[in-house]
Amino acid sequence: MDVELRNRIYAWFVEHGTAPSAADVGADDAALQRLHDAHALVLEPDDSSIRMLNPFSAVPTPYRVEAGGRSWFGNCVWDAFGIPAALGVGGHVSTTCLDCGEALEVEIVARRPRPSDLVAHILLPARRWWDDIVFT
Amino acid sequence: MNLFRSEEHVARWLDANGYEPGATLSADEMCDLARAWWGDRLAPDWRPHTLEQNHAILDELGLTGEFWRLA
Repeated sequence: MDVELRNRIYAWFVEHGTAPSAADVGADDAALQRLHDAHALVLEPDDSSIRMLNPFSAVPTPYRVEAGGRSWFGNCVWDAFGIPAALGVGGHVSTTCLDCGEALEVEIVARRPRPSDLVAHILLPARRWWDDIVFT
Repeated sequence: MNLFRSEEHVARWLDANGYEPGATLSADEMCDLARAWWGDRLAPDWRPHTLEQNHAILDELGLTGEFWRLA
């Protein structure tokens, strides 16, 4: 894996708030595809644009995160809780319960979520997560 | 991997969609997992986790058993 390229892409994303193109980080589509194949990022299925830099999403999702004075999107609850952790700050996660549609607001302070009586559900077993990472 | 109001809401959503149950974690457990899994992603010296490292994270949090095996 080209770790230096991967790190440049992540640094670009955090600095700009949007995913870079291959040219933005001095790479080409084939290099991005190799990182996709190594599960270092996720490309859109129909072109070479970046969809996921886990835990960050480059596209809007139902998991909005406020952290470090910025707004982000997580790919799922695991990722949404991971964004403040990756940034080394507290944060606030906004989403809705998939069952009832109720708004769920979670404050993460000192590494703890409040309220803490919510639950996360992981549907697929671990070995199937990358079969379809967008569904996962 | 979604957040729900409670375990009852998870059960109702699974039933409504015809899904078999997976694993349910408390918000605290998910927070611990997220920190252990993603906490180093922006580190300048980041290197890919090995399979063994990821399994060690899961084991440390008590997430054991076939459901949590990555390969």
